[in-house]
Amino acid sequence: MKHFFLASLLTGALALPAAAADYTIMAPAAPGGGWDQTARSLQTALQQEKISNNVQVINVPGAGGTIGIAQFASQQKGNPNALMVGGYVMVGAILTNNSPVTLKDVTPIARLTGEYEAIVVPASSDIKTIGDLVAKLKENPGAVSWGGGSAGGTDHILVGLLAKAAGVDPTKINYIAFSGGGEALAAILGAQVTAGVSSYGEFESQVKAGTLRLLAISSDAKVEGIDAPTLKESGFDVVLQNWRMVAAAPGLTDEQKATVLADVEKLATSKTWQETLKTKGWADTYLAGPAFEEQLAKDVSATEAVLKDIGLVK
Amino acid sequence: MSTFEFLLQGLMSAAQPMNLLYALIGVTLGTAVGVLPGIGPALTVALLLPVTYRLDPTGSLIMFAGIYYGGMYGGSTTSILLNTPGESASIVTALEGNKMARNGRGGPALATAAIGSFVAGLIATLLLAFIAPYIVRLALVFGPREYFALMVLAFVTVSSAFGDSTLRGLTSLFIGLSFSIVGIDQLTGQNRLSFGIPDLLDGIEVTTMAVAMFAIGETLFIAAQGDKGPDKVEAVKGSVWMNAQDWARSWKAWLRGTAIGFPIGAMPAGGAEIGTFLSYATEKRLTKHPEEFGNGAIEGVAGPEAANNASAAGTLVPLLTLGLPTTATAAIMLAGFQQYGLQPGPLLFATNPQLVWGLIASLLIANLMLLVLNLPLVGLWVKLLTIPKPWLYAGILLFATLGTIGANPSVFELGMLLTFGLLGYVMRVFGYPIAPVVVGLILGPLAEQQLRRALAISQGDVTVLFTSPIAAVLLVLAALALVVPLILRARGRGEVLSQMAASED
Amino acid sequence: MSLDNNKTTAEQRRPDRAALAIAAVLVAIAAVIFVDVSRLKGMAGYSQVGPATIPDWIGFALIGLAIWTVVAAFRRDFPEREKQELGPVVWIVAGLAAQMLLLRLAGFSIATGVLFGLTAAGFGKRKLWITIPVGIVLCLVIWLIFAGMLQLSLPAGPLERLFW
Repeated sequence: MKHFFLASLLTGALALPAAAADYTIMAPAAPGGGWDQTARSLQTALQQEKISNNVQVINVPGAGGTIGIAQFASQQKGNPNALMVGGYVMVGAILTNNSPVTLKDVTPIARLTGEYEAIVVPASSDIKTIGDLVAKLKENPGAVSWGGGSAGGTDHILVGLLAKAAGVDPTKINYIAFSGGGEALAAILGAQVTAGVSSYGEFESQVKAGTLRLLAISSDAKVEGIDAPTLKESGFDVVLQNWRMVAAAPGLTDEQKATVLADVEKLATSKTWQETLKTKGWADTYLAGPAFEEQLAKDVSATEAVLKDIGLVK
Repeated sequence: MSTFEFLLQGLMSAAQPMNLLYALIGVTLGTAVGVLPGIGPALTVALLLPVTYRLDPTGSLIMFAGIYYGGMYGGSTTSILLNTPGESASIVTALEGNKMARNGRGGPALATAAIGSFVAGLIATLLLAFIAPYIVRLALVFGPREYFALMVLAFVTVSSAFGDSTLRGLTSLFIGLSFSIVGIDQLTGQNRLSFGIPDLLDGIEVTTMAVAMFAIGETLFIAAQGDKGPDKVEAVKGSVWMNAQDWARSWKAWLRGTAIGFPIGAMPAGGAEIGTFLSYATEKRLTKHPEEFGNGAIEGVAGPEAANNASAAGTLVPLLTLGLPTTATAAIMLAGFQQYGLQPGPLLFATNPQLVWGLIASLLIANLMLLVLNLPLVGLWVKLLTIPKPWLYAGILLFATLGTIGANPSVFELGMLLTFGLLGYVMRVFGYPIAPVVVGLILGPLAEQQLRRALAISQGDVTVLFTSPIAAVLLVLAALALVVPLILRARGRGEVLSQMAASED
Repeated sequence: MSLDNNKTTAEQRRPDRAALAIAAVLVAIAAVIFVDVSRLKGMAGYSQVGPATIPDWIGFALIGLAIWTVVAAFRRDFPEREKQELGPVVWIVAGLAAQMLLLRLAGFSIATGVLFGLTAAGFGKRKLWITIPVGIVLCLVIWLIFAGMLQLSLPAGPLERLFW
């Protein structure tokens, strides 16, 4: 936090004159959330690694990031110094909210970090494996209540994908949306719902303490230190990562885009950023350039399909 | 080591001069940002967290605790003095507190809020230290149907406690409920009453509504009185401190507020506002001075303020014992803890006792520091009210909009502020109470969601709402709260009617 | 809406017109709710209580309250209203509107300074050439503290850029 508060105090509330690339990072969420933390961590790392001298963070909260992306796309067009943080949640929000501005209207630069989804049951449950759970689901979809985050969010999408992969009608799933991870977790721990879905980090300490049983995880390969099969291994072709990314403004020249990409690349490999990932417990799932764009397109079309299946998008 | 030894050790390290200084800086910064209406403790902590990064773990933990308490208390000060609730949990404080301030009793109001917060924080933190593991087991028993019953109880007790006209009170409540539907329906992801406006998808921000209705509505109303009203508020009538009667009326309210706030805060979906509403309703029922409610009753400040602070400590119960962040503030604190290598969860008390007890000790110290900082300032704060009207109200509107802009710098949000301000003004003109609108906005979605969750889990079987013992008890309490006053009123009707006839001259 | 409070005997027998207007507004809100949620019917899922159910209940309650209000209007149960001076209200509303429109263009200090001056004018201090500059300076100090040092995102305009 170098050029932050203390430094500002010492220099008498006067910033250093701006030199090279100044960045303004938009966090399309209120201060404090995941995107805001990502933006502010980027701010710190960019400044500490001297990639940029002056980085500002602005918050434009609302509607799963769709208000932010709309404003970003229209106001920053062609501005090489504007960045925006975003994530997978935005993909779903754009679809469910019918947002006229989509991720096609900005320039995605790189995926920075991501979390895998986990499926758990309370320790007291008689369900021992993901196979047991799916068998129950096939028998009577209504009797299996799934606790997770907001409707149409990542957790809901995972349940829809799993139902589809298991040959169950996705419109029949009994998904109970809770506000915020804490509330959903409490309902799962209290055995108010049959099973729970959230990012693995939310469940980690409970799983380690033995109060929740981890049935499966949504990564494409086994993750070190996580003692559970992937959904793929269990015979359900579902891979889902709740990622966060950084994007640049639309309408950049190839040169400008390359500069931004180079800066982000430098950041992602820097010591400060790696340390940030470690202290925050964020997995490094860095992916940039055409590979990321390809993955993004795949995510968007898969998400659109499953949201249509669940019946949230017409 | 035993619990006590850990706590003592924590207190000793927290009480070192340098750490006390950090606590003071934290409390000051937290108060400075927390006074902005619309910026509650969650945002305050989020904005100031980076300040603590540069200190050693003990120092940063203690500064963090200071920011947290400062952010919470800052909202109460402006609620009382300026009628601009800083966050949803201090809306109730504004009801009686601001009336007190206008009657020249701002000093005692601020004092009872500060001391009540301290007492509640102290008791609740100690409860947190010693009985957290037991409380949390109880909290987990609460599922959607129990929460629904709790919301029903809250609705019944709260709506009977506002205003003198049932018609206008209910109308206000239902206007609030209508606003509460706006936005994405949490359970199905469908838009309701948002008319294709993206800014409405997240619903109407409670703090925007509260600031607009209370601060702006009131400013317009007072301006419209023209020169009739007094030019200045008499800032101090009687003593600036609490007198013997104030103490006598406050201490029970503090304890009751703590008893209500702590368990509700500990419930994963309780929410600090609900504790303050219930505390206010309780105090109004129990008071020996019912005529003062609505005109500045000190119990109406003491109870809710204690409940607010106790419930803040209550939210730490699921956070520390289960790693459950149940409020926005708790979620930010979780992020903060990770910075210090604390990984909240069921194993925390076992694996990291030093840090946990260090945190609890820090909370105690920060709580004390808040009192030390604020009590001497009470005299200064009430002087604010002696500012001549034009400057005072210009300043109030500056602050009211500053908070809204800081939380979300959008022109649309300012438009809502203006619209709801006008609504608040018109409602005042026609004698509609304001608080039920905000109550409806807060409780409406909670009640609806819990009802629908409970029914989805039971696949449409309505009987589940009554078959859980806790839910049944809560619903019976709600029914009693509704019926008993009606019976009492029916029996005493002759008396009341004759009184009314006598008072009509 | 009638804001006068001199009740004559003739007026007492007439219904309270303002209360009738309020009843009409309540019915209008209910109508908006009914129309808007009608497209959400049949989405109840397993709970049988869908996104349209609760709004419908609220709508019916509003209509009930509107009927009650009409009854009260005929019985003249509404409290007396004090005479309202609309001049000051217009000043303050103009201030809020000006802040809203100027915020993006001129930045926080100028926009809020104008609000400050116009509000003071609403309370009788009409010397805008004093109050607005005072407000702007005050807001600039606040901007430097909250946006500069505490990282709150308050919009910057030409004035703020001079300092940052």
